[in-house]
Amino acid sequence: MKTWSSSRWKKPAQGALLATTLVLGGCVSVPYADDVRDVRSTLGPRWTPEVPVPALTGEAQRGEDIDAAVKQLLAQPLTADSAVRIALLNNRDLRAAMHELGIATGNLVQASLPPIPELELELSKPGGEHELQLGVGVEYSLSDLLLLPQRRGVALAERASERARTAGEVLSLAYRTRLAFYDVQARRQQLELRNLALRNAQARYATAAELEKVGNLRALDLATERSAVESARLAVAESENGVQDAREALNVLLGVFGAGTQWTVDSLLGDPSDALSKQDGLEARAIESSLDLSTLRGRMEAAELRRKLAATEGFLPDVSGGVSGEREDDRWQMGAHIKVGVPLFDRKRGERISALSSRESLKARYEATATAIRASLRQTRFRVESTASRAKHVRDVLLPATRKALEETVLQYNAMQLGVFDLLRAQDNVTNAASTYVDTLLEHHRARAALEQLLAGRHEGLELAPTRISAAASGSGSAPASDAH
Amino acid sequence: MDRREFMQLGALAGGTLLAGQALAQTSSNLAPVRAEKPRIVAPGGQVAVVTPNGSTLPWKNVRGVKVGHLVAMPVKHTFAPGLEVEAWGYNGSTPGPTIEAVEGDRIRIYVTNRLPEPTTVHWHGLILPNGMDGVSGLNQRPIAPGETFAYEFTLNRAGTYMYHPHYDEMTQMALGMMGMLIVHPKRPRGPRVDRDFALMTHEWKVLPGMRRPDPNAMSDFNVLTFNSKAFPATAPLIIGRGERVRIRFGNLSAMDHHPIHLHGLYFEMTGTDGGFVPESARYPETSVLVPVGSTRVIEFVADEPGDWAMHCHMTHHVMNQMGHEAPVTVGANARTIDQHVQALVPQYMTMGQAGMGGMEEMGMPVPTNSIPMMGGKGPFGSIDMGGMFTVLKVRENPEAEDGSGWFAHPKGTVADKADPAKLAADGIDPDVHFG
Ligand SMILES: [Cu+2]
Repeated sequence: MKTWSSSRWKKPAQGALLATTLVLGGCVSVPYADDVRDVRSTLGPRWTPEVPVPALTGEAQRGEDIDAAVKQLLAQPLTADSAVRIALLNNRDLRAAMHELGIATGNLVQASLPPIPELELELSKPGGEHELQLGVGVEYSLSDLLLLPQRRGVALAERASERARTAGEVLSLAYRTRLAFYDVQARRQQLELRNLALRNAQARYATAAELEKVGNLRALDLATERSAVESARLAVAESENGVQDAREALNVLLGVFGAGTQWTVDSLLGDPSDALSKQDGLEARAIESSLDLSTLRGRMEAAELRRKLAATEGFLPDVSGGVSGEREDDRWQMGAHIKVGVPLFDRKRGERISALSSRESLKARYEATATAIRASLRQTRFRVESTASRAKHVRDVLLPATRKALEETVLQYNAMQLGVFDLLRAQDNVTNAASTYVDTLLEHHRARAALEQLLAGRHEGLELAPTRISAAASGSGSAPASDAH
Repeated sequence: MDRREFMQLGALAGGTLLAGQALAQTSSNLAPVRAEKPRIVAPGGQVAVVTPNGSTLPWKNVRGVKVGHLVAMPVKHTFAPGLEVEAWGYNGSTPGPTIEAVEGDRIRIYVTNRLPEPTTVHWHGLILPNGMDGVSGLNQRPIAPGETFAYEFTLNRAGTYMYHPHYDEMTQMALGMMGMLIVHPKRPRGPRVDRDFALMTHEWKVLPGMRRPDPNAMSDFNVLTFNSKAFPATAPLIIGRGERVRIRFGNLSAMDHHPIHLHGLYFEMTGTDGGFVPESARYPETSVLVPVGSTRVIEFVADEPGDWAMHCHMTHHVMNQMGHEAPVTVGANARTIDQHVQALVPQYMTMGQAGMGGMEEMGMPVPTNSIPMMGGKGPFGSIDMGGMFTVLKVRENPEAEDGSGWFAHPKGTVADKADPAKLAADGIDPDVHFG
């Protein structure tokens, strides 16, 4: 297991941004576009290939272009990738996160500015024949100037931490959008299957009603079939609700409302794949690319630099100096002075303790996080493999077996060995197997998204628990037989 | 659903046509051989027994002893085209060959066991030395697989008997081990017969799609046979008009007696496995109940030519592979049901709502190795019968018949649609209302 070491987290500072901000120092505007570019370059190597990172655009490019792009994407049936693209373009929480990064950027810019010189003008009229006297003094804090690189270092580390955190937010949005999209797909498919189960129950009931009408079935059997229809109807209603919930959850992530919510999905959940799980060294990759760990590293570095700053401040006398001139009798008298404040009592000990504790706390949290990432990776990877093999088993073995059973039931029905109710129950078994397939596929895609997320560098907010969205299915398939008479 | 509607279900048409062709082809192979002039085998011109769909055990004469050989063995058996099973029998068939001898003959029968378990042979109805009676454990030790035993005794009573295992008989008989044993009297009794047939009735349980009869069955027997054949594979009995005919029935079914009914004639029962029925005790009949573990012999003269049905009168015994778990649909509106079910299972169609006649003609795909709705082709359409059903063909010239043809009815002797003019003349109103 890798542990934190100072050499690992001391990464070269991002100089380019600082240079830019210094040049632009005069006119103030939000650094959105630069922050976005910076986040994009942070994500670059981590970004999984299918996801369109360029979709993340700067404020300068926003406006009608973006709206048109989002509109165009929404007009097509959504895919997981197009949903992510829309979310990156359109999600306001993400925009808020970018502006929050701007706060850290602002702090950095501020911390990079040299101290302001103090100018003192003095006019006096002593009275009598004395003329008006003018005194001019300039004072400059030398210790602030000396501490400037260190303060800038702290701000730089804090911004690096923020940058990693914001990049993590981007990943998180993409991940949650993906999950929400899969959820919509799966619930749509389950709704279809629940409708099929309802039609099956209705067919059983219609048959029972017909048989009862002509005196071939007990009222008990009819009532039993009726109750099965009503449970199946309820299952459909629940399923419809589930689809609506899933759409709304995705709407929030896509940042759409009004007409924008009219999007459609026409693809089915993809087949299981095991491309990712075959690779080795995934744990190391997850640790390497972890933005959660980068964030902590940035905060650790900032704490360390704050500690050093406090130490320097504690020992460095407060030095300021200046020149002054006094005009007296049409002559300038020039002078200079230096002011030294001796830190006899306040040697910034408290700040140093805080900074040191903060650094140690973050270090421990870093190690805990690394452990959690490794565990999550193993868990997720296992789930990817397990769900893939389960889904394949359902697709290649269980489903064909239920279909074969249905075919054979048809033959046995034709041979008058079984009745129409047996036949419909066999058909219902096919529906239920399909339902299991959808559930397993959803779990697989969720696990894959989680694994990709981990490898891209984000482990916070992973949803690793198995999901079952077909719970409502049980209502329709379990009605007692009424073939015997 | 009627046949026209059924044909509109195009998806099914391909498979059913093929099935129909296969059936037509194979059933012709099962046509009986040309009826031969009866062979005389016993004193007084007594004719040889014919075992429809079966054979007779050949004898070797060794110093005055008739020597025969029965091999107990597994056999592949076809009840009717489309239903082949792994059965057990003798000398490659079920039932085994009919053993035919004459009163006073000394016979020696070697029994070789090629079954996976021991067996014995019990000579049902014969009175013989106790050690030859074949009850495993009681009269002899069982014949182990691979062993050959010899049974030897003198046939001192004429009559109609049977043979079957008396070791694990439940299994061995359920799988088809049985045969007829006929002893002609040394001095003929009663009027001489022109034809003498042996028919062993039996019942089996073979679920559609299975290949081995179920020896545990106590009910639900679904294959009912004459000489282990189910209609339409039962060979017809061809006889000449005015000929005196004897039919010997045996029953080694597990649970059921069979009331065998003959059309077109009446008969008298002349014998059982106990012996001959005295003339004074005979009475005319058209059905004879053949109880389990018994033989019944009937004799008659058929005066009316034609194709006459002969069958067990238990209606479920003239069906093939009946199931009885399905709900009754008689009277139901098939359209309502079809509309709902076909949306989910396109191959479905409601059956039986207008009765079950003509089911076989629909030719629906059924499980492999099954004959659930088989019927036979008749001159006027399908004969929707199966199981214990065969035809008595009474002909002017029986030797010219091969059994595959149908009786040519003299003009005006077949029931047909009534002439409206005749209806009116006779004062019959077909639209009359009752109740
Ligand atoms: Cu019967």
